[in-house]
Amino acid sequence: MSAFYAFLQAAPNNGDGQIAQIARTFGVDWTHLGAQIISFGIVCLVLYKFAYGPILAMLEERRRQIALGLANAEKIKAELDRTEALRREVMAKAYAQAAQSVEEGRTAGARVLEQETQRAAAAAEQIINKAHEAAAVDHDRMLAELKREVGRLVVQATASVTGKILTPEDQRRLAEATTKQVVM
Amino acid sequence: MISNKQAKREAKQLFRLCRVESLLDENRVRQVVQQVNAGSHRNYRAILDEFLRMVKLDCAKHAATVESATTLSAEMQAATEASLKRVYGPGLTTSFSDRPSLIGGMRIQVGSDVYDGTVEAGLAALEKRF
Repeated sequence: MSAFYAFLQAAPNNGDGQIAQIARTFGVDWTHLGAQIISFGIVCLVLYKFAYGPILAMLEERRRQIALGLANAEKIKAELDRTEALRREVMAKAYAQAAQSVEEGRTAGARVLEQETQRAAAAAEQIINKAHEAAAVDHDRMLAELKREVGRLVVQATASVTGKILTPEDQRRLAEATTKQVVM
Repeated sequence: MISNKQAKREAKQLFRLCRVESLLDENRVRQVVQQVNAGSHRNYRAILDEFLRMVKLDCAKHAATVESATTLSAEMQAATEASLKRVYGPGLTTSFSDRPSLIGGMRIQVGSDVYDGTVEAGLAALEKRF
């Protein structure tokens, strides 16, 4: 097409007759050519209006959607990054809190262990003291019982012996002692 | 019907009437009992009960019981009786008895007073100390 126009521009240098001759040679009918150009333009306009327009609009829409998708993807990626950072931060905090809780638990456990140990020691000491007291009470009771029993045996033995060894003089002396009690 | 308090008061008056020189006269006691029984007093039973209680107390107060492990000689009995009369007055009635379980010594009881010099009492005190 461009070669044809170049040929047409070059034509005035060689004169109108030469161009007309060439047109005739190639069978160019200017009327038909004009009509064809007009009809071609109309076709182009119709095509542009009803075919290329919607297709271009659709392509534009697709492009916009893709751009939007890409933007969304970027946004999602940023959001993901932010979420990841937040997650890391939360996890770090959680780890820190967990470590603190574990530490507090250990401290509390140690404290409770210490308290329970002290309490158990006190209870054990109390039990031992009570056992000692009970043993002492038992010892005293048994000692008292032994004393009573010894006393009873001594009295029994003395009673059985004294009656035999007291002379009439002893009896008189004892009676006089009682009489003296009355007078005193 | 007289009150118990009044019966006691009247019994006390009757008891005072029966005393001669701080000693209870047996004849007067008999007379009082007969008079009260024969009389038409409304509450003679309560008066008599109270009167008898007072007489019993007086008898116990003027009765001495002397227990000894062996029989006391006549001199010893006389000496004991004399000692008791010196302390408790001439109206005291003394009775002597033997009790071998006393082992040795003598035990005298006059009313609520007790003089215990027996070996049994000494051993009982010793046993208590154990």
